[in-house]
Amino acid sequence: MTAAPIRILFVDDEERILRSLALQFRRQYEVLTESDPHRALQRLKSEAVHILVSDQRMPQMSGAELLAQAREIAPQTLRILLTGYSDLDAAVAALNGGGIFRYLTKPWDQQEMAFTLRQAAEIAARQAQVPLLPSARLLAAPLNVLLLDDDPQTLAVVGDFCMNGGHRLVRASNLSEALAVLNAQSVDLLVSDLKLAGEEVAPLLKTLAQAHPRLLTLVVTPFCDTQALLKLINEAQIFRYLPKPIRRGLFEKGLQAAAEQAQLWRAQPAQVVARLAEVPREEREREKVGSLLGMLSRLRERLTA
Amino acid sequence: MTTASALARLLKPVTPLAPGMSIADVADRLLTPEHKAFLSLPIVDAAGRPLGLVSRSTLQDIFMQRFGRDLRGRHPVQEVMNPAPLVVSLDTSLEEAAKQITGQLQYPVTEDFILVDAQGQYRGLGTVLDLLKAMEARIAQRNAVLRKALVDLKESQAQLVQSEKMASLGQMVAGVAHELNTPLGYVKNNVQLLRELSAPLFQLAEAQDCLADCLADPHCAEARLAVALDNAAKAREQATPELLVEDLNQLFDDTLYGLQQIAELVVGLKDFARLDRAMSEEVDLNDCIRSALVIARNSIKDKAEAILQLGELPRIPCAPSQINQVLLNLFTNAAQAIEGFGQIRVKTWAEETAVFVSVQDSGRGMPAAVLARIFDPFFTTKPVGQGTGLGLSISFKIIQDHGGLIRVASEPGRGTRFLIRLPRPQAAALQRSA
Repeated sequence: MTAAPIRILFVDDEERILRSLALQFRRQYEVLTESDPHRALQRLKSEAVHILVSDQRMPQMSGAELLAQAREIAPQTLRILLTGYSDLDAAVAALNGGGIFRYLTKPWDQQEMAFTLRQAAEIAARQAQVPLLPSARLLAAPLNVLLLDDDPQTLAVVGDFCMNGGHRLVRASNLSEALAVLNAQSVDLLVSDLKLAGEEVAPLLKTLAQAHPRLLTLVVTPFCDTQALLKLINEAQIFRYLPKPIRRGLFEKGLQAAAEQAQLWRAQPAQVVARLAEVPREEREREKVGSLLGMLSRLRERLTA
Repeated sequence: MTTASALARLLKPVTPLAPGMSIADVADRLLTPEHKAFLSLPIVDAAGRPLGLVSRSTLQDIFMQRFGRDLRGRHPVQEVMNPAPLVVSLDTSLEEAAKQITGQLQYPVTEDFILVDAQGQYRGLGTVLDLLKAMEARIAQRNAVLRKALVDLKESQAQLVQSEKMASLGQMVAGVAHELNTPLGYVKNNVQLLRELSAPLFQLAEAQDCLADCLADPHCAEARLAVALDNAAKAREQATPELLVEDLNQLFDDTLYGLQQIAELVVGLKDFARLDRAMSEEVDLNDCIRSALVIARNSIKDKAEAILQLGELPRIPCAPSQINQVLLNLFTNAAQAIEGFGQIRVKTWAEETAVFVSVQDSGRGMPAAVLARIFDPFFTTKPVGQGTGLGLSISFKIIQDHGGLIRVASEPGRGTRFLIRLPRPQAAALQRSA
């Protein structure tokens, strides 16, 4: 690659973490570090940064907050949370507000960290080659929304959203119906619980993240577990995570943001789509995703055609 | 109803007397063995309504007079009966009946009481002694139930105290585990980096060894020497030891610092739990505060700056693990009360008879209604499942058991201040607590 080097900004209140990371990555990337989140934000305003990696627990500002503000300043920057605390609220805030690309935990595995940054760097490099189309060209085209949740409350909110936005709502009451829908028609937004008719939906979400990166997933679920959410972020690249019972305003905002993102991506070439899911770590889940990928072959044909 | 049947069990079916029956006949009846147990006999009208009771003592009084039996034996019993006897309805509860009877009974007890049904029809007699026995049995039964309830209550209280202890211990362990992740993160990475960075140094050493061998060997071929020289130069260039020095030193420093941090946390954890020390000893509360702060650091760090103003304190006897539990509870509560980023001021000082710890936060404070209840067991302002509502009530009990006091002042929007007073040795009579 002859393009400009990828710049990574690490933010952590522990200087030693910053030194360690800088030493690890200074050869591959242009590494910047900040121990003060406010200064990090200042820096984002004045310099181009491709990847932002932030700690969660810092005095003055949480990582989730930093990432959310960073998203406003530099939406193109890929955001990663690196934290030693498994804290559900922080993970939800970092995903919903900060739109994080990955949620990494301390102590980190050197190889994994290098791999994640390489993936992020590839996306950043691709994005750098293809300038983003001006948003003025965006059309509020109708979208196809697939709902995988039989909760009447979810249906009510999604139904209203589709009605008001002129979107088409498709429902599936089990996984095989969902697969049939996904194979037969193009779906832009997916709203799903983690359980559908007693089946786990997470493997399907993880499969879709690989087969159909443009598809935006909103998970609506009463189930909350930090580890599970972490995997949904890293392996299913979900767009929003909304706890049940649903808070209507929050849900509507999430749907709106997803619709805008879907329309933005629809107008852009594939390279710009900043999504790349990690392959599931657990063997069983990996196999499941493999077989689901087979079942979604028609979807993949359509997307590559 | 079981209470109705309780009175029915006291019922003795005594054939009632007609109001016109003669006193002499009544006396004969009282002498029959089946009536021996009764102090009195009932007089009932034709419709089955009780009219009164005639007692043995009334008849005795009559018969003790000279010619009493001859003079009055033929008179109807109605003349000498008590026309206002104790009449108790069968559907009255045992307690109610006892109340009614003891309320009306007079000394000496000379009569029994009449039992009637709901319609007021005569059903039989009841004796005061039977009633007393029934009451005693009932009370004994109640006592047994109460005693069991008390035992159950004590057990569940002990369980709750234990579960609150476990909850705060769990919170503490999780906090420290997370706290360890930061130094662990860079220490682990640094060690891997050290290995990577030192690899070229080993190659350099090897290349230089090779070169040294060549130089030492007078028969070494020119070509071999040239290769060895070249290799050594390349290895030197690769390794750049002069550049590495700084990095390696920094990595070693940071790694050692991180290990030190990890060690401190582990020591803090051990100090905090005081697993290896006696329950009661001479303790400097400032040490307790420091070790509780190490443990609470993870919940405080991103919420508040801890400002310590620790005065010199005399050692006091206490159960440090309990005091630590109280302090941890106050610190984490303080952090949770703060919106955004604030301050937690911890002050200690000593007076002649006591030592004081003040924990003050710049949090949201509490309205009076909440303030009045914060030491109540099970009172919590946290969402269901997030607090047992026992933290402060246990803290209160711990301090009380130490012969001390815990007080709170709060102002909505300004913050909350807890003040602990623990007596100095001469006054301290330490009670063992749960």
